Amino acid sequence: MQSGTQARKYRLQGAGLDLALPYLMLAPGLMIVLGVLVYPLLDGLKASTRTYRYGSPISDVGLQNYVHLWSDAQFLNSLWVTVKFVALSVSIEAVLGFALALFCLREFRGIRLLRTVLIIPMVITPVVVAIVFRLIYASDAGMLTALSEAMGGGAMQILGNPLNAFIGLVVLDVWEWTPLMFLILLAGLQSLPQEPFEAARVDGAGAWRVFADLTFPMMRPVLAVAIVLRTIDAFGTFDQVFVLTRGGPGEATRLVSIYGYDTAFKFQQTGYAAALFVTIGLVVLALAFSAIRLLRRIDAS
Amino acid sequence: MNARLARICVMTGVLAVVLLPIYWLVSTSFKSNREITQEGTLYPHVPTLDNYVRLFTEKQFGSYLTNSLVVTFFSVAIALVVGAMGAYAIARFRLPFAMDRKVGLFLLTLRIIPPVVILIPVYLLMLSLGLLDSWLGLIATYTAFNVTFCVWMMESFFREIPVDLEEAAMVDGDSRFGAFRRITLPLAAPGLAATAIFAVLVTFNEFLFALALTATPRAMTMPRGTATLIGRIDTDWASMAAAGVIGALPIVLFALLVQRHLVRGLTMGAVK
Repeated sequence: MQSGTQARKYRLQGAGLDLALPYLMLAPGLMIVLGVLVYPLLDGLKASTRTYRYGSPISDVGLQNYVHLWSDAQFLNSLWVTVKFVALSVSIEAVLGFALALFCLREFRGIRLLRTVLIIPMVITPVVVAIVFRLIYASDAGMLTALSEAMGGGAMQILGNPLNAFIGLVVLDVWEWTPLMFLILLAGLQSLPQEPFEAARVDGAGAWRVFADLTFPMMRPVLAVAIVLRTIDAFGTFDQVFVLTRGGPGEATRLVSIYGYDTAFKFQQTGYAAALFVTIGLVVLALAFSAIRLLRRIDAS
Repeated sequence: MNARLARICVMTGVLAVVLLPIYWLVSTSFKSNREITQEGTLYPHVPTLDNYVRLFTEKQFGSYLTNSLVVTFFSVAIALVVGAMGAYAIARFRLPFAMDRKVGLFLLTLRIIPPVVILIPVYLLMLSLGLLDSWLGLIATYTAFNVTFCVWMMESFFREIPVDLEEAAMVDGDSRFGAFRRITLPLAAPGLAATAIFAVLVTFNEFLFALALTATPRAMTMPRGTATLIGRIDTDWASMAAAGVIGALPIVLFALLVQRHLVRGLTMGAVK
């Protein structure tokens, strides 16, 4: 099959000007990507081995920036906060999204309204999502405080308390991204073959048995892809934190992206920040590629 | 009966969780700061449009909106044209050194790396080119990001279209590029639409690069402009809420209009 399509592709290639056509078609896109993404990426590698003052390099320090990272308590803390944030948010989103998708699998009245409404959180500008949650959490003007006062309670302290602020950030992410998880998993559920389920119904299998023996194993690849996609995305979270807490209070919600940004633009340590980001990029790529290998193994079995 | 009751409960719960925060944003945007902080009302008792008027008269939201629309339009349009051609090239031609497959993988790799990773060098690049705080700097950056996933998404759409149709067109005397333009491109239109919509969403909502690359209302986009309202010590909740509504309204309306294609774009790839 594979070689068949390859031969076919070749046959279409033709001669003369047509021979150059694929290169002419690829060139503009590749040039833009090489100029605006790849060149800076390589430049970033170079920058990561230098120290900077006011945006210009002043000395080469080799790999010293990279070595320094691992004894920088603030970096290690931001890494830990990021891992906690990603693990917690993505697993909650996967469970909620899966449950909701199973629930919506059977068509019923109102499902279209539900799907329409669920689109809103993930298309709203992330900066605005953060504003929405600041308005909920604010101790003087927030919805939680207003509700608590309406019920005779006092002001709610969310963003001033390290633990609450962290939980508040996770809640924001869950609100924003569970719908995406839901849509992917629903599409996955709808694409499953029907025969095994009909057979199970004929055999009189209970709902739980059907889920554990059929639905879940069959959904594993889609579930894995959805989790990987979300994980990669969540690792780069920046906007929401920047507007909601700016990393605070203290370092409670300071993700690596925020720490790197501050290192570069607030503390003007360009070279060190570049090394930090190169490290993060490598971590995410390693994560992604090991996930892809894992997925292939699931697919094969 | 029981199942129906459970269904209604879950429905109501989900709708409430999604819509209550949005209700709070919208309702706050119609209150005065006094009402917000001192009375803590649950709905605007004395509704006012002042907050919205202030955004456009004192806070240059007109410029932000224009900048966003211009930057989004050009970077999506360029990326679509360039990306469609690139995607077609790797979907239909066999290139030496298995380049047809490697280019796709390469672009996917670039897509996986969090954008924040190349923020600093892109900033330094725009600094040296004198493109900081300009439309062109933002358009170049966003176009490049959009090309990475436009090529990747459209490649799979082109693959779904049978080669025979193009062959038939070429037998009838169409050129290679003519067959692409007249046969394949129209057939791939739904896929291209899904790609375009996704690109518009991502571009319009982008904040990180707008934050680093722009500094004045000359080039600041909506998310960037909205964020400048915040972070001052005395928080103007009323303006912030109105800015949130204005900032999100265009993209939410757009998304609801094109809902069908949107869901396809968002979920594609994951299920395949």
